[in-house]
Amino acid sequence: MANLPTPPMPLPQTSPVKILTRDWHLPECWTLENYLKGGGYQALPKALKMAPQAIVDEVVKGNLRGRGGAGFPTGMKWNFVRKETSFPKYLVVNADEGEPGTFKDRAILEWAPHMFVEGLIIGCFAIDCHVTYVYCRGEFRDGPVARLQTAIDEAYAKGWLGKNILGSGFDLEMHVVRGAGAYICGEETALLESLEGKKGYPRLKPPFPANAGGGLFKQPTAVNNVETLANMPAIIEKGGDWFSSVGCPKNGGTRLFAVSGHSKKTGVFEAPMGTTFTALLNDYCGGMRDGSTLKAIIPGGSSSAIMTAEEAEWMSDFDTLKTKKTMAGSGAVVFLDQSVNMAHALANVTRFYATESCGQCTPCREGTAWLSRLLDKLCRGEGEKKDVDNIHQIARQMEQKTICALADGAAMPVKSYIEKFRGDFDALVKG
Amino acid sequence: MIPLTRPAGPVPSPFNADQQARFDAGFAKAIAKYPADKKRAALLAVLHLAQEQLGWLPEAAMAYVGFLLDVPAVRVREVATFYTMYRLKPVGCHHLEICNSVSCWSKGSEALLKHAKEKLGVHAGEVTPDGKFSFGEVACLAGCGYAPSMVVNNYAYAEDMTPEKFDALIEKLKNEPGQNIADFPKNHDTGRAHG
Ligand SMILES: Cc1cc2nc3c(=O)[nH]c(=O)nc-3n(C[C@H](O)[C@H](O)[C@H](O)COP(=O)(O)O)c2cc1C
Ligand code: SF4
Ligand code: FES
Repeated sequence: MANLPTPPMPLPQTSPVKILTRDWHLPECWTLENYLKGGGYQALPKALKMAPQAIVDEVVKGNLRGRGGAGFPTGMKWNFVRKETSFPKYLVVNADEGEPGTFKDRAILEWAPHMFVEGLIIGCFAIDCHVTYVYCRGEFRDGPVARLQTAIDEAYAKGWLGKNILGSGFDLEMHVVRGAGAYICGEETALLESLEGKKGYPRLKPPFPANAGGGLFKQPTAVNNVETLANMPAIIEKGGDWFSSVGCPKNGGTRLFAVSGHSKKTGVFEAPMGTTFTALLNDYCGGMRDGSTLKAIIPGGSSSAIMTAEEAEWMSDFDTLKTKKTMAGSGAVVFLDQSVNMAHALANVTRFYATESCGQCTPCREGTAWLSRLLDKLCRGEGEKKDVDNIHQIARQMEQKTICALADGAAMPVKSYIEKFRGDFDALVKG
Repeated sequence: MIPLTRPAGPVPSPFNADQQARFDAGFAKAIAKYPADKKRAALLAVLHLAQEQLGWLPEAAMAYVGFLLDVPAVRVREVATFYTMYRLKPVGCHHLEICNSVSCWSKGSEALLKHAKEKLGVHAGEVTPDGKFSFGEVACLAGCGYAPSMVVNNYAYAEDMTPEKFDALIEKLKNEPGQNIADFPKNHDTGRAHG
């Protein structure tokens, strides 16, 4: 059977700037031919003539923030790795894409694999990495991974990968490996464990992956998201200052918003960093589906704190949402309408974390399981008023106590759903 | 009991000649991705390969993989049970997995799960009496914008599902071969729900 979904092309694009989606209006936008027509592989020769540090400096200037979830400044991460004196160094790509609501890395791998490959080669050159691994979620084998592998094979054939790339003396091997179904392997240290052939238990930090002792095979390692790297060709071609000017303060460039839920159109939309949720909904997604009014917004994947319809005016960049006590996360936006009871939605979200907790830390393992049981009880109509308070209390006690951020990602929605939609919870309480 | 140590001697292969040829080719590729002294890193890939030959991961396959990569059986088991794509008991020739994470849930995945159960006449995790089908609920598949989303046999995405499209898919798959499910003794209960 056909494995590749038909891309929703032509995509409605109102973004003033197209970086990542530049070619998506073309049929077969993923081919090398189309990528070259759009100006592909012009950044690579330019980058190879630059000093690696100068590339990182452009990335710093461009205010490129990691698109995987945390929004960490990419240039800073690369400088950490560059400072290390232990070799080999690795760049590992996070293509595990497991956060509920997120499907934009899959879109890049399927529709712009060469842009990602070119960006990754430049990134590896910048941090002096000669073997790179792209860790993809297991289910991607026949769609995104097949496209990516074709792009890699073509890049080898053209001399953009392999030994002495374009006569620069720089060698790079690129390998794709696959996970096997575990959300936690999106967490960077769990990903490294998995890449080493083990179960995905996050590692206690420090040492951090960027430092000797903490990365892949204990070597200094930068872990970066697919989308983060796909921005590299544009940064090299047009410069960090230009890239920075596209977004909003401290958040350079555009972002691929993966929109799902009850908006009229759902799919992947490219918009400048900081675009408000109102604009995203109305200008890109055609508003809510017929007969539906916006009730709540999940702004950055299911781990982010929920927003109310009134808060849709907020900007979507990493810093604004942090000050609003939620997060831009993976750029996965879910618009939910009045048909949704938020307690039921939270029960669904929490069940996910209870299932996906790796179980190493007691607050996470017990907390998520307990929360899930109490929320299910509430949804069955068997809950009491004190259960709602209990749920809130348990979530607060899970924060900042664990090896990785999964527990915080499970607690953040719980607190916010209850605080902002208490009525939905109380309505389910019996008696 | 799962042995904690490495096996003393060679472990027999669970594959027939065709499967062995495919497995060997994939095995060579998988370990070539890693430094020579790090071949155990290929464990996930090699388990995928074994499962692709047999439709699931019987004990004999895990033992063989452990032997080839020089990984103790208990470590192989640890990995095989940690990741949900590995099947520790046989599934149907066509194993359907329906996402029930938040985006799909908001677009009717629970109704789809209920429909699957009625249509196939089995519960999640069970196999239809003719061995053709099984289904289960899974977490987000990165198909959230095309919800509800599902995968067939781990890799083939089917999206924007409705009960009608589900029925059409079943009709179509009925006539397709699907995965061969190797007939090995079932593993002992692993204590983990599958599907
Ligand atoms: C539980 C958990 C799951 C994560 N899942 C992903 C994921 O699927 N993809 C991803 O790119 N980053 C994920 N992250 C973030 C990564 O740990 C890491 O910060 C990111 O890959 C770094 O790349 P970036 O700096 O380019 O964003 C996850 C983090 C946590 C705590
Ligand atoms: S916080 Fe949860 S998922 Fe993260 S290491 Fe601890 S138990 Fe595992
Ligand atoms: S929520 Fe179903 S595929 Fe993501």
